[in-house]
Amino acid sequence: MSDPFDLLILGSGSTAFAAAIRAADLGARVAMVERRTLGGTCVNRGCLPSKNLIEAARIVHEAAHPRYAGLTPAEVGVDFTALVEQKDAVVREYRAKKYASVADGLTDVELLEGDATFLDAHTVQIGDRQASGDRILIATGSHPTVPPIPGLDEVSFLTSDLLDADEASRLTELPESLVVLGGGYVAVELAQMFARLGSRVTVVTRSGLLSRYEPELGRILTEVFEAEGIEIIRDASVHRVRGDARGVEVEMRQGSARRIVGAARLLVAAGRTPNTDMLGLERAGIAFDEDGFVTVDAHLRASLPHVWAAGDVIGHQHDSQMATPVGARQGRIVADNAFTDARRAFDGRVIPRAIFTDPPIAVVGLRESEATSRHLPAVSATTPLQHVPRAGAVHRTTGLVKMVASTVDEQVLGVHVIGEAAPEIIHEAAMAMKFKATAADFVELIHVYPTMSEALKIGAQAFSRDVSMLSCCAE
Amino acid sequence: MTKSIVAIDLGVGGMTCDDCVVHVTDAKSVAGVESARVDFDSRGAVVTAQSDVVAEVLAAAVRTTGHYNAFERRRRAVSGE
Repeated sequence: MSDPFDLLILGSGSTAFAAAIRAADLGARVAMVERRTLGGTCVNRGCLPSKNLIEAARIVHEAAHPRYAGLTPAEVGVDFTALVEQKDAVVREYRAKKYASVADGLTDVELLEGDATFLDAHTVQIGDRQASGDRILIATGSHPTVPPIPGLDEVSFLTSDLLDADEASRLTELPESLVVLGGGYVAVELAQMFARLGSRVTVVTRSGLLSRYEPELGRILTEVFEAEGIEIIRDASVHRVRGDARGVEVEMRQGSARRIVGAARLLVAAGRTPNTDMLGLERAGIAFDEDGFVTVDAHLRASLPHVWAAGDVIGHQHDSQMATPVGARQGRIVADNAFTDARRAFDGRVIPRAIFTDPPIAVVGLRESEATSRHLPAVSATTPLQHVPRAGAVHRTTGLVKMVASTVDEQVLGVHVIGEAAPEIIHEAAMAMKFKATAADFVELIHVYPTMSEALKIGAQAFSRDVSMLSCCAE
Repeated sequence: MTKSIVAIDLGVGGMTCDDCVVHVTDAKSVAGVESARVDFDSRGAVVTAQSDVVAEVLAAAVRTTGHYNAFERRRRAVSGE
């Protein structure tokens, strides 16, 4: 076996790359081990390909449903196979530009391909070779959760891996109909995308859409989905799945009633599971929780002093989120902690997140119920977007902004938006919260008129006045 | 009693040219260090020092010479007590 690497990274996604780049800058010899495709989930089968196809679906929908009187609906034909091919080209180009060529340019970073399994605390087996690291970073990410539903192991089903450009799980034909199991962010993004591209979509959920977000968001999205012809089945407990070459049947209980829903394809979007079950963590003595997430301290150090974990594989510990930019931040922190005396802790208090439905959703900070459960005296103000001039001007008034603020010092604790441009404007809220802004600070900032960002100013004004009685830009 | 001498292998980051090697080599002024050899190609250094010299002090000395970083890779005995 060759000399140990200074840093052996398991994984090659955004977390791994951020760590590798920083560690190489700090003088380390680094290896990344990848069992699937270079780049991890985001570029290959997550954020990037989904946003590509979601935008195509939006174009199809907007053409058929113009918001302006005077515009005639038009039908945009959908060649799904060709659409998938262009998506694959985007993925491959992006992967080459942002991952493969970056790895090639890092002379002190080696890429090892294969499944890694720990032999001891410093060594992993990768196929027929072994590699060891003085320091180790576990950044193996996550995969779609497959819930223990009877019959699921006997039917063909899709997961978000359908977005992959190169693996067998990829989808190249548009299903005539689709049942989606789940109501989280992956479920809602893909449900609306398929519906807009022409599939008949039924969403089956236990507790409605986006139940882990402010309730107003899921409520509005449900109205939008139903108006677009997506059927949503709530309070459903799925107890069996059957299928054959012609399609699938999902058997569920809804209250006391039994119900069976059939479709050509089944999409399982029931959360994400950490990629740790094949690593042999117990052989290395690395602790993990009952769901398989690697246990870390605030400095992202695992239960052994030379081992760190970051990205999806740590789940929601220390206010983390399973999201690409969060992993990238954590990867850099690990490199700093491993090779300098920085002793950086991960700070997850302000992490903006978005869901790319239409209207899109973006959130940062605490929900009102979270503030309450943490015994923080807080109040919320909810403002419909019809009070935002830009929204009215472009006929995009569906949505709202909900702000949560402390009643002690008026500091804004959370911002929750559903509506046009939410994933862009949320950064103003995030930056403000990073610097502990109050609701008054949002009002005091002069905003460009007319923009959707004004929703934050008007949303903050709603704490103290009736915003329906304000002229444009009035404070 | 004579203190034992150790060779400490350091990884060194941030060096872009031979001038950097000179700067990093200046870090040998740490008490207890007998010699330091910095190698640009391997991005490393071998420091010969008394065994009670800790890597953190060497790393801190390297960092103060400029935009460089250092960390300990190995430490091995050169002479005994």
